[in-house]
Amino acid sequence: MRKQLWIPLVLFLFIYSLSIMIQEESITIALTEKNESPSWSHLFGTDWLGRDMFLRTLEGIQLSVTIGFVTALLSTTLGFFLSFIASIHSVLDHIVSWLIDLFLSLPHLITLILISFVLGGGFRGVVIGLMLTHWPVITRVLRAEWLQIQEMPYVQMSKQLGKGFWWRTKHHFLPHLLPQMMVGFTLIFPHAILHEAAITFLGFGLSAEEPAIGVILSESMQYLSSGMWWLAFFPGVTLLVMVVLFQWFANTWKHYIERDRSYETYFNN
Amino acid sequence: MKKYNILLVLLIFSILVACSNKPTPETNASEPNDQLTLAIGGEPDDGFDPTTGWGRYGSPLFQSTLLKQNKDMDIGYDVATDYTVSNDGLEWTVTIRQDAKFSDGEALTIDDVIFTYQTAKKAQSVVDLTNVQSMTKMSDYKVTFTLHEPQSTFVYTLQTLGIVPEHAYDENYAENPIGSGPYQLVEWRKGEQLIVKPNPHYYGSQPAFEQLTFLFIAEDQAIAAAKAGELDVVSVPITQANQDFTGMKRVSLRSVDNRGVMLPYLEPTTNGEGEAVGHAVTSDIAIRKAMNYAVDRQAMVEGVLNGEGTVAYSTVDGLPWKNSQVTINDANQAKAEQILNEAGWSRGEDGVFKKNGQRASMTLYYPSEDQMRQSLSLVFADMMNNFGIEVTTEGASWNVIEENMHSHPVMMGWGSHNPVELYSLYHSEMQGIDYYNANYYQNSTVDQYLEQAMHAKSEEVAYQFWQKAQWDGETGMSVRGDAPWVWLVNLNHVYYINEHIDIGNQKVQPHGHGWPITDLITDWTLNE
Repeated sequence: MRKQLWIPLVLFLFIYSLSIMIQEESITIALTEKNESPSWSHLFGTDWLGRDMFLRTLEGIQLSVTIGFVTALLSTTLGFFLSFIASIHSVLDHIVSWLIDLFLSLPHLITLILISFVLGGGFRGVVIGLMLTHWPVITRVLRAEWLQIQEMPYVQMSKQLGKGFWWRTKHHFLPHLLPQMMVGFTLIFPHAILHEAAITFLGFGLSAEEPAIGVILSESMQYLSSGMWWLAFFPGVTLLVMVVLFQWFANTWKHYIERDRSYETYFNN
Repeated sequence: MKKYNILLVLLIFSILVACSNKPTPETNASEPNDQLTLAIGGEPDDGFDPTTGWGRYGSPLFQSTLLKQNKDMDIGYDVATDYTVSNDGLEWTVTIRQDAKFSDGEALTIDDVIFTYQTAKKAQSVVDLTNVQSMTKMSDYKVTFTLHEPQSTFVYTLQTLGIVPEHAYDENYAENPIGSGPYQLVEWRKGEQLIVKPNPHYYGSQPAFEQLTFLFIAEDQAIAAAKAGELDVVSVPITQANQDFTGMKRVSLRSVDNRGVMLPYLEPTTNGEGEAVGHAVTSDIAIRKAMNYAVDRQAMVEGVLNGEGTVAYSTVDGLPWKNSQVTINDANQAKAEQILNEAGWSRGEDGVFKKNGQRASMTLYYPSEDQMRQSLSLVFADMMNNFGIEVTTEGASWNVIEENMHSHPVMMGWGSHNPVELYSLYHSEMQGIDYYNANYYQNSTVDQYLEQAMHAKSEEVAYQFWQKAQWDGETGMSVRGDAPWVWLVNLNHVYYINEHIDIGNQKVQPHGHGWPITDLITDWTLNE
């Protein structure tokens, strides 16, 4: 179990920290080495300007992971606040539920394209677009959890004993919601990365200037028919590997957290 | 987990099947026949109405023009049999042939000519006829155009504006053109194909082909169709120019389809509309000249264009009105450094030039959807950064570029068979009008030469002034003079053509890859 948890996380963090170490200046144009297929000196080959695709891919991974992290954090926070609002009054609860249903009924990608387009694309447009499309699922879970805990006898009891709302939030609600939020966060993360690459590929996301994977993939489309397969293959596979690694970690962690650990302490002692 | 796997498979699958095939008429490239299938790029969005711009590039196919430009870029006759210009340059009298007929059999009369020019003038489209004051019918076959002021480039208007029939011209004309040209329309399926056949009433020699089919398909599809032997003529982008299609020969045509960096000419200020104009660094002539000397144009042609192009020193390379003195020896960093040092610039600690606390730094904009301009921009920036002028690149939409083009360098492209483009790009009156003279270049001497060229009464005199405007020995708008641009390369236009078709010699190709090749399509022949 432990291995299942640590191997993917360590691998993921290793690749990410490798990509952080890449300086943008190290990606240089070398017209004499353009269009080279993968070799030992250029693991992923070079593009039509002689730039090393391995470095470009890592640079793109860094951006994608950063965007995924920021988005997942923002979506989770938004989800928490909305579920909090829903818990205050039943009218607010209706509004929040209606919003959740509304957003879930629309395909992610289309809403994402609309929002990102309206905001003018770029880093800001993509992050806000991703945040506004990825909150409903986690909000629904948190809201249900909140409502359930609210009705628990011990929570009702502490209410009757005169404990205030904030006290109950801190001591009863938050400890139960935190694991859900963490799981939600890890599940949104890979989703957000793929969506970012998708809308950037379609041209509504990050500008062509940014070293994003989506940009690399859409650029390479022109060169595929002249046989330069490595331009799309390696960046695509790397993105896939990163997403799968994190997904692996997230799933294991979800199972780990969801277990009832009261028995374990009983047996271990 | 499974959900994402399925999503990914779907994504990959949808990318793979994205290139679907449209039905294409079958012809076999290796066996020539009298039917041609061409895939040479985009269809004209506005249809086939010459009064709104059809036929500016290439042959108008359906219509004929009064004059025409022959292979050596001299003036020849088409519908006209003669033209004279009065001594003051204001009255142009054109005589037309008497045997011209439209494809519906009706005779082409002088009224049709007058109607055409009136319609074009009223349409206020890209066909600029504002200088035409009036048209007078002198006889059944003679018309006199009276101009507001002399205009030597009016002869190019006479060469490009196709004559439309007054009796068959209505709002649907653009989709259903009738003209006196070598071909007539059979069918135009928008977004798919255009089929034409010879016009039996054409007064010239009948074309060698019984039918032409123009396919409007994406580049990838066109290349796939050419590989399958379904095309006789296909245009390919430079990045794809290393193909090998059986039965087809490769034709790489020289062009003036140029690319260059436009440098803001003025000190930072604002124009009448409150837009930012000018740039603190590029307003220094030493910087502009140094960039022109430091850049390695030949390396760009080899590296970015794969050799499919020529170095550019002006916007009119290869045209008769180019001044031959305006080439320089570039890739000369020592010379560039010397120019900067003499002007008071010196290298800072990071290697970037500085003067009075001002770093030689700028942002170069390029249209992000154009990969060729992106590559050129990145390479240009790389060369400049190596030299010591800091250039960062910014890909943007044309809307964003329009907001920034007066105050930032931009990767632009021009190239026309009409010298009026020189006037549009460099005359101070054209400052900030559309994309013309967007860097606010101004030089009163150059203005004078350009006006003299426009108002010249003969081609030869006009050529002299066009050349003087570029460099008169002391000043000019070329790289030897004020250097408001860094012209980089001219892109060759690459076509693959059935090896049994002889397209003859071609002119230097203008801006736009595709239709210009049809310019001399009536001269194409079949050989065995």
